[in-house]
Amino acid sequence: MNGAQHILEAFHRHNISTVFGYPGGCIMPLYDALVDDVRVEHVLCRHEQACALAADGYARASGQIGVCIATSGPGATNLITGVANAYMDSTPMLVITGQVPSGLIGTDAFQETDILGMTLGIVKHSYLVDDADALPAIMEEAITLAQSGRPGPVWIDIPKNMLLAEVDTPALAKASEPEADCPDIARAISLLRAAKKPLLYSGGGVALARAEDSFRAFATAAAIPGVVTLKGIGNPGKNNPFNLGMLGMHGSRAANKAVDECDLLFVVGARLDDRATGKLDTFAPKARMIHIDADSAEINKLRPVDLAMRGDLNQILAAFTEAMVEEPLTISNWQKQCKTWHTTGGFQAADNEEALAPIAGPAFIRQLSRIAPDDTVISCDVGQHQMWVAQHYEFDHPRHHLTSGGLGTMGFGLPAAIGAQFADRNSTVINVTGDGSFMMNAQELATIRRYNLPLKLIILDNQCLGMVRQQQELFYNNRESHINLDDNPDFVAMARAFDIPALFIERTDQIRRGIETILAYKGPMLLHVAISREENVWPIVKPGGSNKEMIDETRRTNTSTKEQVA
Amino acid sequence: MSPHADRSMPSYTLNCRMHQEAAALERLCQVVRVRGFRISRMTMESAGEHLDIALTLEGSRSVSMLCSQLEKLHTVAEVALAQESGVRSVSA
Repeated sequence: MNGAQHILEAFHRHNISTVFGYPGGCIMPLYDALVDDVRVEHVLCRHEQACALAADGYARASGQIGVCIATSGPGATNLITGVANAYMDSTPMLVITGQVPSGLIGTDAFQETDILGMTLGIVKHSYLVDDADALPAIMEEAITLAQSGRPGPVWIDIPKNMLLAEVDTPALAKASEPEADCPDIARAISLLRAAKKPLLYSGGGVALARAEDSFRAFATAAAIPGVVTLKGIGNPGKNNPFNLGMLGMHGSRAANKAVDECDLLFVVGARLDDRATGKLDTFAPKARMIHIDADSAEINKLRPVDLAMRGDLNQILAAFTEAMVEEPLTISNWQKQCKTWHTTGGFQAADNEEALAPIAGPAFIRQLSRIAPDDTVISCDVGQHQMWVAQHYEFDHPRHHLTSGGLGTMGFGLPAAIGAQFADRNSTVINVTGDGSFMMNAQELATIRRYNLPLKLIILDNQCLGMVRQQQELFYNNRESHINLDDNPDFVAMARAFDIPALFIERTDQIRRGIETILAYKGPMLLHVAISREENVWPIVKPGGSNKEMIDETRRTNTSTKEQVA
Repeated sequence: MSPHADRSMPSYTLNCRMHQEAAALERLCQVVRVRGFRISRMTMESAGEHLDIALTLEGSRSVSMLCSQLEKLHTVAEVALAQESGVRSVSA
């Protein structure tokens, strides 16, 4: 058995049945081995970046490791954005690249790049295989490492001669799990009980730890008002009465107000990202903090904690739930206050009743949320549409919301939706994108067609880079600079060129029929939605500003506003 | 953050044991740089399957946070903060 065949053996051992890749010179031995393998489905994307992003989407939707494969040189460098995306959002991913033969490394050979050196800052770990006999053990360790503790991408760069070399049956190594560190749960519970205004702050770590059920059990038992980060959307489910929604730069006034007023922040699986906290000096100024996370390096990184717990979220949350069931918290005044804030300062968008009115982005998303099935997976790109989805779509599960949180990768949505559709061929998957983002990986329409994936594409087209235009309007004296996309192609014709049917809508009374038509269609379909160029995402906090200083539609100026949710 | 920006720069000595792997030293140096520190002195000895590295660093960020980030590296077996060497004045 050669090195390439050992890679497939590792896939079999770990039930890896779907991989996303693109062949080329130095990775050809692996593609040769794939010819005889019936247990691994290889999905051929049309660009290596899409391979990595599809593997990311597959992992996010399924909870399993995503795998992408490319050749050396440009194949490997094209993966980089997708791998960085996975790194920033802690997606478990295995990256396999071919490399020039060992003897040619360092000679500037054809399609040689030092991909190991280039990618040090965007991987959880990486390997350059210099001994073929070590390859099986490296595969085992890499697959385990990518999924353990705080997950992340692990990259294995394999010279072509190592893929071709005969490898003896190996002794397999296994990476050790990080030790848990839960110093004092009794003290944490007593901190929680002492608080009069506790606030649950949850992020992407809940789903990464597969702790959705434990989290909901705790949130229900404790009945603590809660806010979520962009990646935490869906954690509390649709029906949690104490969920105030997303906080941060485009968060709700209610969520940011609750953070400002709380006296205890109970942080679960979140890293206090700057888009969520705003200016740190003014973030949760009255609060003590309990921080529960898989990664000890996140503890005290940006804000000192009063108590930190690291380990299995399921076990930790179960202990809290038990305590809450035994003796519930008495925080009814705080609950009422938060509900009032939610009523007056939640995400609101008037649904325009005027039939001929132009389509408003938020109104479209609210309709989509009402019409699409509960288990629909929405894969977003980056920009205004992404924030409208975060604000106005009601998610019942965090794995239903695929979004590029940390890296903010335009072009993520379409390949990630492809990955999600491969994770479950029967699920409803919708890529909600903008005209700018769509064009960054539009070649993947060919992948959709090739595999006849039934996924739906919705382009909210404002003929510009809307989020950049919005910030230029608000923070750069309305000096528009290189955001105009009014020469976009005809998206309907473009889809049809890939043999994908498409519809165009532009009026409010066409929204329902447009959504229902694409959802009812058995195969892939694209809905091109014209929206206003001038529409903004509200509210907004100036980048680097305090979350107390939210700007809304009534104050389209640079002037800071005072909190209005009292 | 530029490590050159502050007029007074705390200095630290870190001892780090790493597994012998491709790019081990680069990985270490990359984390030190990106987390806001500058290496002013570095010695390295190969000891069997390990590398023992002593770093003298300057930086105004929390050195314990740097240690946490270094400990996350799969190739790092051990990180120890040997001493806080004091504050060194640098020109702005």
